[in-house]
Amino acid sequence: MRVTNNMLINNMISNIGKNMSRMETYQKRLATGKKISVPSDDPIVAARALKLRTDVSQIEQYKRNVDDALSWLEITESALNNIGEILQRIRELAVQASNSTMTDDDTEKTAEEVAQLKDQLILISNSTYAGRYIFSGFKTDTKLINDDGTFAITVEDTESIIYEVGVSDSININVLGGQLFNNGGEAVTGNKAYLIDIMDQFVAALKSGDKSAISNSEGDSIIDKIDNQMNNLLAIRASVGARYNRLELTADRLDTNRLNFTKLMSENEDVDQAENIMLLKNEENIYRASLAGGSRIIQTSLVDFLR
Amino acid sequence: MRSSFFGFNVAVTGLYTAQRNLDVINNNISNVNTPGYSRQQTVQQALRPMNLYDGTGMIGTGVEVTAVKRVRDEYLDTMYWSENVTFGEWDTKRTLLSELEATFNEPSNSGFTQIMDEFFSSLQELSKDPSSEAVRALVKERGVTLAKYFNDMATRFEELQVDINDRIETTVERINSIGVQIQQLNKQIYTVELDGSTANELRDQRTLLIDELSKLINIEVNEVAVGKLPSGRDDVRMTITISGKAFIDHFNLSKLALVQRENKLNEEDVPNLFDIKWEDGNSLKITGGVLRGYLDVRDGNSGLNGSPVYKGIPDYIRKLNQFVQTFAMAFNEGYIDLDNDGVIDPVKNPAEDGKGHVDGYGIGSAADLGIRFFTMLGTENKSISSSDFIGGASDPAAISARYSNITAKNFAVSSDILDNINLIATSDTKDQVGNINNLRELMKLRNNDQMFVEGAPEDFMKSIVTTLGVSSQQAVRISANQEVIVKQVENRRLSESGVSLDEEVANMVKHQQAYSAAAQMINTMAEIYDILINRVGV
Repeated sequence: MRVTNNMLINNMISNIGKNMSRMETYQKRLATGKKISVPSDDPIVAARALKLRTDVSQIEQYKRNVDDALSWLEITESALNNIGEILQRIRELAVQASNSTMTDDDTEKTAEEVAQLKDQLILISNSTYAGRYIFSGFKTDTKLINDDGTFAITVEDTESIIYEVGVSDSININVLGGQLFNNGGEAVTGNKAYLIDIMDQFVAALKSGDKSAISNSEGDSIIDKIDNQMNNLLAIRASVGARYNRLELTADRLDTNRLNFTKLMSENEDVDQAENIMLLKNEENIYRASLAGGSRIIQTSLVDFLR
Repeated sequence: MRSSFFGFNVAVTGLYTAQRNLDVINNNISNVNTPGYSRQQTVQQALRPMNLYDGTGMIGTGVEVTAVKRVRDEYLDTMYWSENVTFGEWDTKRTLLSELEATFNEPSNSGFTQIMDEFFSSLQELSKDPSSEAVRALVKERGVTLAKYFNDMATRFEELQVDINDRIETTVERINSIGVQIQQLNKQIYTVELDGSTANELRDQRTLLIDELSKLINIEVNEVAVGKLPSGRDDVRMTITISGKAFIDHFNLSKLALVQRENKLNEEDVPNLFDIKWEDGNSLKITGGVLRGYLDVRDGNSGLNGSPVYKGIPDYIRKLNQFVQTFAMAFNEGYIDLDNDGVIDPVKNPAEDGKGHVDGYGIGSAADLGIRFFTMLGTENKSISSSDFIGGASDPAAISARYSNITAKNFAVSSDILDNINLIATSDTKDQVGNINNLRELMKLRNNDQMFVEGAPEDFMKSIVTTLGVSSQQAVRISANQEVIVKQVENRRLSESGVSLDEEVANMVKHQQAYSAAAQMINTMAEIYDILINRVGV
């Protein structure tokens, strides 16, 4: 084939251009750390990149939800703990009151303490998490129990606050006020909370000196009622503990998933820099060689040898 | 008997011929870098010999140059043109699709996936604290960001469409201008060649123009003999046809014209786009070249309504519109076309009417059912309220029909929500601030893989981006392949017609020496005559 000067030059320009564009590819990868910058670089990698980004972002959101749910449950747990202590103390007082002969002064002091405990219980029933009443069901903006021991709101059994902690995986994080303070029932506006009522009964029995109301063998005494409430509380605490456990497991799983998905994401779209640098160096050499070769082609023609 | 000065005459023809050859070489060397130039060669032959009539036969009388012809393989030109048209088309598509890809900006940390992630994350945050004004404001803002993303995409697509329309205008003007130049060259070439010579340079210029034209539009070039000239040569006339109709017929030119469309081809189009027609009003079918690339990307809507069978800008706008309509309807009303029959019919399929934003209550005194989260922009680009948007429609069929008014360009968060963030419907019962039952239904939409045929919302958008990626990759590959082919043909042309300096310089030396030798011959002859005239018989 006849080769002409312009052919040589055109070919050289086109080849150097191709070298440059390959170098540009590797350099872009070096700079961005990504295999692709637009979907057409590799549509399959792009599609997976989009999916994985969504997955990771969802996992991160679920992780935040789990953390918030754990905080909520921690507040609940500590409130339940306090209620347990109050019930324990009341039971002690009831046992004391039923066993020993009490002076008026003692009765007065005991009644005083029960009243204090009652106030404390009401305070606990109105515990908040980030400004929201945790036992008020859906009416998180309203107190559960008034200072006089009656329910300020109605809390129905259905008012479970539910956090999403996974795709179609959710968890109920609140303890309903009625279940805790109204012996497992619903809270109804205006009605006196059962727990408070027991305390009021206890004070009344103290004041009237009715020891049989405080303790008897028929199972309807104040102590029996307190025992029942302690069992009720235990059941609720067990349930909260179980949920807390489950959330911790979920958090672990989310952490592992996040790690896995981030790794997948990296494998999918991140550049193996060692390999990339090698390839870039290689391209650089080729580029230099083509420039050196080109300079020779351009310089020389027969004219140079005619003197 | 020979004439006295016969030897001088022969030597002089040698001198002239060598000079003529050097002239041509000189011209070749000067034009070594002229685009489209084909090298020229002299055709030289021995002059008619003289009969000696004395039995010795004939004696040569010297040399002459009979023609200067250009070295050109016209088959390669035809091949170049037929490959260049495909290259033009796909190279254009490659450029335009890469602009589209840049518009989508995926995968990145600011594309659709990110915006959708953030919108649903804000809903998640709201589910944990539905009474918080701050989180409600966040949901509103993320909703606005989502809507604005689609507004922005649609606007950019429309801008690109207008931009391509302008480029079409420029290209058609260029085609017409090339047509005028070829028409002029045809006249000049025809006139020059009437006497039987070849208009080398003019033909080169014309080929160069056709090279450019062949990239812009599909053409067929023919030179046909229509009869005989008085000189006896064929009367050759040149025609360039586009899809069967003559663009240039010898001295005549039919220009292309741009006509503004009265009716949109696709409903997604911007108004007043150009149609390309013949100047005489006939319609024109463009099957290749840069123009075809422009038309496919500007008008391509997968062949709907007679549009080009290509996924162009209207196709992507249509898909974005479909996305916002379906998504807004599912989010607002809970309507999902589960059986994909195009209508929402809860009587036939009760599950098609799920829970949506309208089925819930916000918080505060104004909270009530029937608030839509997404509506559309009305006059003055202000978003309209739920009631204005729904316009009194009450049954599912009528309500779902209202959603066909939403487009990516006018998608917006409803004015109800913008004015009062407490209307974001989290609760399924009135006056329960902590109730998130309705919000949970909304959050589930994110992973509802029945919302679209392609799956969940993100799957739909992912499929758009992937489709674009595949189209763009196809354009990159075809244009790269085609470029190689065009370059190869170009190289073959250069191999045939290009000037080789080595060759020219070698020939230069050859003719220089022939010239020296002929001059030497004159010296020799002069010496002979010197002897004959000055010394013999003196």
